[in-house]
Amino acid sequence: MVAAKKTKKTHESINNRLALVMKSGKYTLGYKTVLKSLRNSKGKLIIIANNCPPLRKSEIEYYAMLAKVGVHHYNGNNVDLGTACGKYYRVCCLSISDPGDSDIIKSIPGEQ
Amino acid sequence: MVKFLKPNKAVIVLQGRYAGRKAVIVRSFDDGTRDRAYGHCLVAGIKKYPSKVIRKDSAKKTAKKSRVKCFVKLVNYRHLMPTRYTLDVDLKDIVTADCLQSKDKRVTASKETKKRFEERFKTGKNRWFFTKLRF
Repeated sequence: MVAAKKTKKTHESINNRLALVMKSGKYTLGYKTVLKSLRNSKGKLIIIANNCPPLRKSEIEYYAMLAKVGVHHYNGNNVDLGTACGKYYRVCCLSISDPGDSDIIKSIPGEQ
Repeated sequence: MVKFLKPNKAVIVLQGRYAGRKAVIVRSFDDGTRDRAYGHCLVAGIKKYPSKVIRKDSAKKTAKKSRVKCFVKLVNYRHLMPTRYTLDVDLKDIVTADCLQSKDKRVTASKETKKRFEERFKTGKNRWFFTKLRF
């Protein structure tokens, strides 16, 4: 029960941080651009939705392991992640290249 | 954050005639060139893997089984799967950007890399690289 409460609060804070990144930072949405950002070492944090196909998820995690970039498994599916980004479409994975004013990169991988 | 598509990285070619073959990056062109406006790299890979050598084999048979056939190719980054393995074989002087221009240059480059790959295979190091990927 304590764990459930904790995840609710941190879930909201991730959403807040993500909203701030959308407003002030640089990001790319979508599998192809996520891999591109990992290859040219522009990505700093990768966020993957929970209904991402497992092969694709492992591929992104492997690339991120090679690039030494943190991966956050978002607590929600691609519909929720799209809404969290303020978009009207589904987003399965996204890459943050410049967090802007947000502290998402310092706080989210640190928690995990 | 760390660039990993660097020379000596072992990769797997995903598309084309050599799909499923392991290769090593010799030179990478991150920003592309005028002819190829995308990130690509020069790879040297294995066209035909060496067969399994057993203790019973005679010297002649081991020599025949340890043969490696190589290829040299310019591949788009999108058509590669990088791995955590590296292969430290010095191919920079034989495999160059201009060795793909004519057929005989290509053949000499492949023959030289074949020699170097075979030496490396015979020492028993980098065993992962010389085993066929099962899929």
